Amino acid sequence: MRILIAEDEKSLADIVKKGLKEEGYTVDVAYNGEDGLFMAENEPSDIIILDIMLPVIDGMTILKKIRKAGIKTPVLMLTAKDTVMDKVSGLDSGADDYLTKPFFFEELLARIRALLRRNSGVKTSIIEIGDLIIDTASHEVIRGGRVISLSAKEYALLEYMAINRNKMLGRTTLTEHLYDQDFDLDSNVIDVFINRIRNKIDRGFDKKLIHTIRGAGYMLKG
Amino acid sequence: MLSSIKAKIIIFYLMVLFLSLSVLGIFLYLGLGKIVHDSIDSSLLSRAKALAMLINEDNNETEFKFSDDVMWEYNSPKSKSFFQIRRPDGTAMEKSASLGDSELPFQTGKNQTSFETILLNNKPVRLINFHLHNLVIQCAEDIKDQTNLLKNYRIVLSLSILSIMIISASGGFIIARKALTPVKEISETIDRISESNLSERVTGKNIPSELKGLAASFNRTFDSLEKAFNRQKQFTADASHELRTPLSVILSQSEIALRKERAVEEYRNALAAVTEAAKMMSQIVQKLLTLARLSSDKVELNIEDINICKTIHEAVKLLNPLAEQKGISINISGNEQPVIRGDRAVLLELFTNLIDNAVKYNTPHGKIDISIRKEMDFIVTEIKDTGIGIHEGDLDKVFDRFYRVDKSRSRESGGIGLGLSICEEIVKLHGGRIEIKSKVGEGTNVTVYLKGIKDVT
Repeated sequence: MRILIAEDEKSLADIVKKGLKEEGYTVDVAYNGEDGLFMAENEPSDIIILDIMLPVIDGMTILKKIRKAGIKTPVLMLTAKDTVMDKVSGLDSGADDYLTKPFFFEELLARIRALLRRNSGVKTSIIEIGDLIIDTASHEVIRGGRVISLSAKEYALLEYMAINRNKMLGRTTLTEHLYDQDFDLDSNVIDVFINRIRNKIDRGFDKKLIHTIRGAGYMLKG
Repeated sequence: MLSSIKAKIIIFYLMVLFLSLSVLGIFLYLGLGKIVHDSIDSSLLSRAKALAMLINEDNNETEFKFSDDVMWEYNSPKSKSFFQIRRPDGTAMEKSASLGDSELPFQTGKNQTSFETILLNNKPVRLINFHLHNLVIQCAEDIKDQTNLLKNYRIVLSLSILSIMIISASGGFIIARKALTPVKEISETIDRISESNLSERVTGKNIPSELKGLAASFNRTFDSLEKAFNRQKQFTADASHELRTPLSVILSQSEIALRKERAVEEYRNALAAVTEAAKMMSQIVQKLLTLARLSSDKVELNIEDINICKTIHEAVKLLNPLAEQKGISINISGNEQPVIRGDRAVLLELFTNLIDNAVKYNTPHGKIDISIRKEMDFIVTEIKDTGIGIHEGDLDKVFDRFYRVDKSRSRESGGIGLGLSICEEIVKLHGGRIEIKSKVGEGTNVTVYLKGIKDVT
């Protein structure tokens, strides 16, 4: 899952980025509105965390512009303004959720999960694919009653595939959603991770969940 | 009730009305009375004269030639006309039958014809004493009817005045109420205006021209109230905004640090970041308190004679290490030793803030020129830097609270956008003003005019 943070307070953006990365998310940061708008328009983000008071271009303008451009990425407004009117105008401009500063990091995580779920049509934090159970809140993965331990990156890849299950996902798509903009896209790193996950969740089971689509990519299917 | 304008108007108006009606009534009553009495008197006089013509006096022989023709009106006991003829010494000689046993009263010693009103058998009677050579002809007439007429006239007049008063009072009440309706409307509008709808104004076509001025001044008052209130609201919002961001940093840093076991180095970094954010918060709170203290009415100052030159030297001394780091030279000119009444700590804060800005936003190895001079009542301090300057569009906003010309730039140098607001308050407190001129790329020129605090004795 790739998250774009547009926040001008560097110390805040950096610590949130660190926290989110530790949760297995891929994070890009824009410290001003101009960069924020550019990245929102050009980087494939799964969620945009947008501060309203941004230098150069303010958050509300960015939101209106990307919605006008047809970008449907869920946007979580993050701001120090807390009047009802601010919330209403934010939501009316196309924001999907609203969080006021100061916020609890746990709450930010829960809201991110909720937004990702809402976008994928999953109603709870638990995704079930056959006998594979993924708890997106605790990052616990169970298959056939057995707890499977995954690294953060492995988990992120599995969760992304689970949310987009039954869909063919190309290597580029997977790389884009798992690595930030500084990552060199020319890489077989996805194949390596897919193999690791396969070993952990498919080995020893008759029914394979991860399918390779030759020349195109991968699919998680129950 | 009596204090209401309505009651006052009505009472005053009724008093004036009562007074004028009473004067009119008295005149009318006296006028009618005079007409009535005059006509009686003239009829009595002609009767007396008629009787006199019937008296023959020869050689002390008095003969009354009263024919029945003349006497018919005096003869009946029920007649309302009377006469009696006396000698000037009062001796009764002849009287009319209508008098019966009674006599008309007579006072000796008067030699002139006189009129009087007397009571004869408890009836009001008008009497004339008509003097001839050695006779007095007294003629009298019952004036009960005339007296009754006047009495009735008095009653009618009083009742008329009373009813006019009642009608006028109710009319006046209605008029006063109607006249005061716009005032009531204005007061209702003002009642409605509260914290939540300060933007409402006294408007409407119903406002008469006399009250337009009042409405306008109310509106002006509310305009400035609303402005002050909005400024306060904006300030509170800005203050909370400024505090929320470092608070978010503290929360996120500590929460994330605690999410799992970490290396000591990581904890140290998190704590350092928390400390940094907390420092920022404490700085904001400190400045906010200073600002609140300065702009409150009850600011406590320690007023004494301050040598401005000395204060500026102190401020420069405090900032010299910072200036030296950037290779900036500070030069103070002005030979005068101007003294004003003021608070030393507060003035030191003023100059420290201004020189600090001049250092912060200066170019490396730049210059700061400070000149002090006297100009009329003011002590003028000019602080000129060779710094980056401020855009013209930002110049009028630099004194706004939390206004930062360039957010990212000031954050790095630790500004929170309150310094110049504080300076402005300090200058105002010392009866002066502060002016700022700037050119991008050339530098900024801040001029402070100080008059000093007037001692209250």
